[in-house]
Amino acid sequence: MTWLVWRQYRAQGAIAIVLLAAFAAVILADGFQIASHWHSVLVACAGNRACLQQQSLVNGVVSDLPYISLIVPVVLGILWGAPLVAHELEARTSDFAWTQSVTRMRWLTVKAGWLLLAAVACGGLIGALTTWWSGPVNALSASAFLPGQFDTQGIVPVGYAVFAMALGIAAGTVARRTLPAIAIVLGGFIAVRLLISDVLRPHYMSAITTYYNLTASFTPRGQVAQGGVSRAGVTVGQGWGSVGDVLRGPCVRLLNAAPVGKSGSPVALLSCMQAHGWRGYATYQPAARYWPFQGIETGIYVLLAAALIGVTFAIVRKRDA
Amino acid sequence: MTTAIATHELSKRYRRVSALTDCTVTVPEGRVSALLGPNGAGKTTLLRMLAGLVHPTGGTASVLDGVPRQDPAFLAEVGFLAQEIPMYRRLTAEDHIQIGAHLNPRWDASLVRTRLAELRIPLDQRVGTLSGGQRAQVALALTLAKRPRLLLLDEPVAALDPLARRKFLATLTSAVADAEGGLTVVLSSHLVSDLERVCDHVILLSGSRVQVCGDIDTVLAEHKILVGPRKDTAPIERAHQVVQAVVTARQSTLLVRLGGGPVIDPDFQAEDVTLEELVLAYMGASEAPAGKHLAPVGGEES
Repeated sequence: MTWLVWRQYRAQGAIAIVLLAAFAAVILADGFQIASHWHSVLVACAGNRACLQQQSLVNGVVSDLPYISLIVPVVLGILWGAPLVAHELEARTSDFAWTQSVTRMRWLTVKAGWLLLAAVACGGLIGALTTWWSGPVNALSASAFLPGQFDTQGIVPVGYAVFAMALGIAAGTVARRTLPAIAIVLGGFIAVRLLISDVLRPHYMSAITTYYNLTASFTPRGQVAQGGVSRAGVTVGQGWGSVGDVLRGPCVRLLNAAPVGKSGSPVALLSCMQAHGWRGYATYQPAARYWPFQGIETGIYVLLAAALIGVTFAIVRKRDA
Repeated sequence: MTTAIATHELSKRYRRVSALTDCTVTVPEGRVSALLGPNGAGKTTLLRMLAGLVHPTGGTASVLDGVPRQDPAFLAEVGFLAQEIPMYRRLTAEDHIQIGAHLNPRWDASLVRTRLAELRIPLDQRVGTLSGGQRAQVALALTLAKRPRLLLLDEPVAALDPLARRKFLATLTSAVADAEGGLTVVLSSHLVSDLERVCDHVILLSGSRVQVCGDIDTVLAEHKILVGPRKDTAPIERAHQVVQAVVTARQSTLLVRLGGGPVIDPDFQAEDVTLEELVLAYMGASEAPAGKHLAPVGGEES
């Protein structure tokens, strides 16, 4: 069976390896450059935080390259996952494959197994390269937990790739035709990714809320901008005020009179608010939860993929060919 | 005598459409059976159920002493060639030989190579670029290379020109001869003349039901064409089953299945039927208005 997979996918596999190698080459070349720049910046700033924060490490087209890893899973699902069963049915080659001395279950196990393994390899390789490439940026701006960065680094790319592949295989099995299956993969993958990253992810663990005293640097009529509390975490919600109702206190008149959008507040407003016990607060996920979050998110996608593969097996076993 | 195929009231419904109804047939081992019937009669459905590709919705099927199932041992015994001659169009015949070698326990690669060499079909050309006749030959050779005990062929010659058809059937005939009784074949078609030469058994499906099932010689002996004057045929209908009656102003032509005894009406002359006449009569009968329901013939070997 493995030989059949090899024979059917060797050309496409070679193309995929060439593309991956090209991606790796660009990322490695750029990554070494960033790393050496980072080292010289470290030396030049000599531990001065303000100096460091003025530096910019990445720029140009290459800085967008890691975002490829957001698209790669869905491409794999479309090109390899969706046709796995659907194209065999369309071309009627399932009549050939399923009347050899190999059961459909074994046929599906081996084919889906190798493709899922390929997805793991692709997602893992791209994720690992991106993680390494992002090292200096992560160190400088502690942004690995932010949406966008979180999705391209660590182990979640493996979860996305496995899920997209499984979605493609299942969609092709249900739809029986490649084209509708591709539509299902595109729509389904984007919908699930957005749902999980925007709705579910902030609630993997209950967020921490920290209160702090207001200083002259807070921005009236806006949110508390300079908390310094959650720089390294995803900020779930941010606002300011006492625990009570913000806008119905005695300082409202002063607040409304404050200039819009400007940093720094009139002394009268600040002292009014401090006198009435208002505090800033930030609700956030601390940076230490980065890996637990990576693990939880990857686990969710792997479970979804397992469910889809289970459905595929049930259909292929039961349905008429 | 062992049976290769025995079905009992095998049925398949697709939502509202009935593809095959109460199909009871028996094919003894070693027979080459012609599965005949008009389009939509259920031939493909029956063959696919026997191959284990389609699950029945009613009745039972026994193929080589077992239910068609997802089991390597069963699959190894049954060779199936679908109507569309499915193959990986971008792979070569040699690739298919390799695939077969990896997927089958008793694979006879030299059989394919020898047969294709005899037919001068290139092994290293993508099968998608071969002619229809060549492709059918490659597919048949690949199916035979499994060394199956049962070969199910679904209209494999339908798309071929007469010469390619003859070559295909010659390959089939020699495979049956080589197997010395160990190979049972069911071959569907609506080209009766082709099948008459290679088959010794017939299953006639019409209107998704079995009309006739048995050895061709037995079946033909059971049927007669009666030619006589135009008269009341009720006495004949009581003793025999009239499959088809053509009545003109002067004469009646009846195709009857003999009901146990000879036709004793001296006004009628009994003539032998050909397979083609028989098939056409049954197909015509099933298209006629309902009312006269024909029971299948079958189980003659018991």
